[in-house]
Amino acid sequence: MMTQNNHNLLGPALLTILLLLAPLVIPVYWVMLLSEILIMGLMAVSLNLLLGYTGLLSFGQGAFFGLGAYTAALMLQAGYENLFLILLAGMLVALLAALVVGFFSVRLDEIFFAMITLGFGMMFFSIAHNWLDVTGGSDGLPVFNLPSLNLFGFQLTFYTPINMYYLVFVVVLIAISLLWLIVHSPFGLILKSMRENKQRVSFIGGNVKTLRIAAFAISGAFTGLAGVLFCLFNNMATPEFMHWSFSSKPIIMSIIGGTGVFLGPLFGAGIFFILEQIIIQYTENWMLFLGIILIPIVLFFPQGVFGTLRNKFFKQGSK
Amino acid sequence: MSRDSVLRIENLGHSYGKFKVIEDISLTIGKGEMSALIGPNGAGKTTFYNAISGKFPPTKGKVFLNGEDITGLPSHRVVDKGMCRSFQITNIFTELTVAENVFSPLIIQQNKHFKLYGNVFNDQQITEKAMDTLEQVGLGGRTDQVVANLAYGDKRLVEMAIVLARDPSVVLLDEPTAGMNPEETENMINLIKKLAKNSGTTFFITEHDMKVVFSLAEKIYVLHQGHLLAQGSPEEIRANEQVQEAYLGRKVHA
Repeated sequence: MMTQNNHNLLGPALLTILLLLAPLVIPVYWVMLLSEILIMGLMAVSLNLLLGYTGLLSFGQGAFFGLGAYTAALMLQAGYENLFLILLAGMLVALLAALVVGFFSVRLDEIFFAMITLGFGMMFFSIAHNWLDVTGGSDGLPVFNLPSLNLFGFQLTFYTPINMYYLVFVVVLIAISLLWLIVHSPFGLILKSMRENKQRVSFIGGNVKTLRIAAFAISGAFTGLAGVLFCLFNNMATPEFMHWSFSSKPIIMSIIGGTGVFLGPLFGAGIFFILEQIIIQYTENWMLFLGIILIPIVLFFPQGVFGTLRNKFFKQGSK
Repeated sequence: MSRDSVLRIENLGHSYGKFKVIEDISLTIGKGEMSALIGPNGAGKTTFYNAISGKFPPTKGKVFLNGEDITGLPSHRVVDKGMCRSFQITNIFTELTVAENVFSPLIIQQNKHFKLYGNVFNDQQITEKAMDTLEQVGLGGRTDQVVANLAYGDKRLVEMAIVLARDPSVVLLDEPTAGMNPEETENMINLIKKLAKNSGTTFFITEHDMKVVFSLAEKIYVLHQGHLLAQGSPEEIRANEQVQEAYLGRKVHA
């Protein structure tokens, strides 16, 4: 009879508990770093919906991250303080932008797709960089008031790093759970089918273009959500979020962690930031060392650090 | 038009610039018929298939499926209308399991391809139909295997299952035995015979292996330099001098 790959939920459950308890034992500085890892991890897992599952390398994810961040900053400046409204608005703006960018991009493949998404990303970067009145130009948009949350009569604020961490933790946990559902849904299987063979998908009745636009929009929406979180965490939305070099971060994280495993990119984000912390103590040229580290990873961990180790120690089937 | 015709092609032509690859092809295939399209290499068989299956629109002529004009529809719409095809070079989802390969067409057929939740393995409508299809082609025992690890002949069977999953009214098979060893070829012939008998599906195959053609087809169409040279029963085609000439000219043994 047909059986599915056993989804081992023990690892994710353990990880969740560790992340829940971490702020109790680690210094505040590392709590803040962990928040950043989770936010960038969400961005990387969202990107991997395209890269690992659909087989599309997008170099423009920074645009959607930035749109989420600017949406949050603008709403906060305008006096909106409802947390849910801001999170959803950031996602929605990113979703709509991704629908438009996706519409023009998904007919292309591989390097052409990467270049057109990079082009769109840089367009958004230029707008954010030059439209002084709205975006504050290269200075970015500062955020002074954070939204609060009324939870059963308690007014929760997020001004302390610990409270901010738990906000990030809960939102990222929900978002990644939703992405997990999507990846394992019928839609998710069709995405993998397109990665394997898009011609065959169209010859079993699938409209490849529409399906890819849907994947692109979903990825963009969750990237936008990560952008909102980063704006709250960082108290700032800046045009750098939309620069192509920022878009390359989730790609590097996914490759470090492994594109073939659902949580690989999240681990990649962790490795990325922790390496940065360690190296930066010794030298300012951390990018040089990132390059030196990236090369053996690509050579010796073809499925990413997490993917290769997992396959080595837990012989598992296909992703 | 007879009520029983399932695929009707009128004056079909396709050209690249001034070069006419196929020209003026008209034929009518009856329901449940087993037909074959043959012709020397370069006769235009694959172009003909691509033009009627939506890979690209033909530059001339009309295609009717079950009486409905499907000329120029994109491939996914042609499949929706009930015509599915295989390819000369195996066209499957290599890194997925055998079961998942057959799930994909069923998900699309049942309009669940935008469903963002729920596990396909828990969807009885899909798993039962997939199991049926896989048993039909003899892969019932290997559902969990990743397709990349299968032998070549079994990969061809996976493609067969993908093509059959949606119960198409017309199945186009582009050289279904290409690259197979004699045993695999024999199995494939028997499988196609069995499927045609049990399901009443209309098969339209191209083949260059004459043994396969003559052991399968009830009706044969011969394509030569882009034109339909002859059509008829296997006996008629065997006896046709023009056909012999076309083939003997190219030293292919019939």
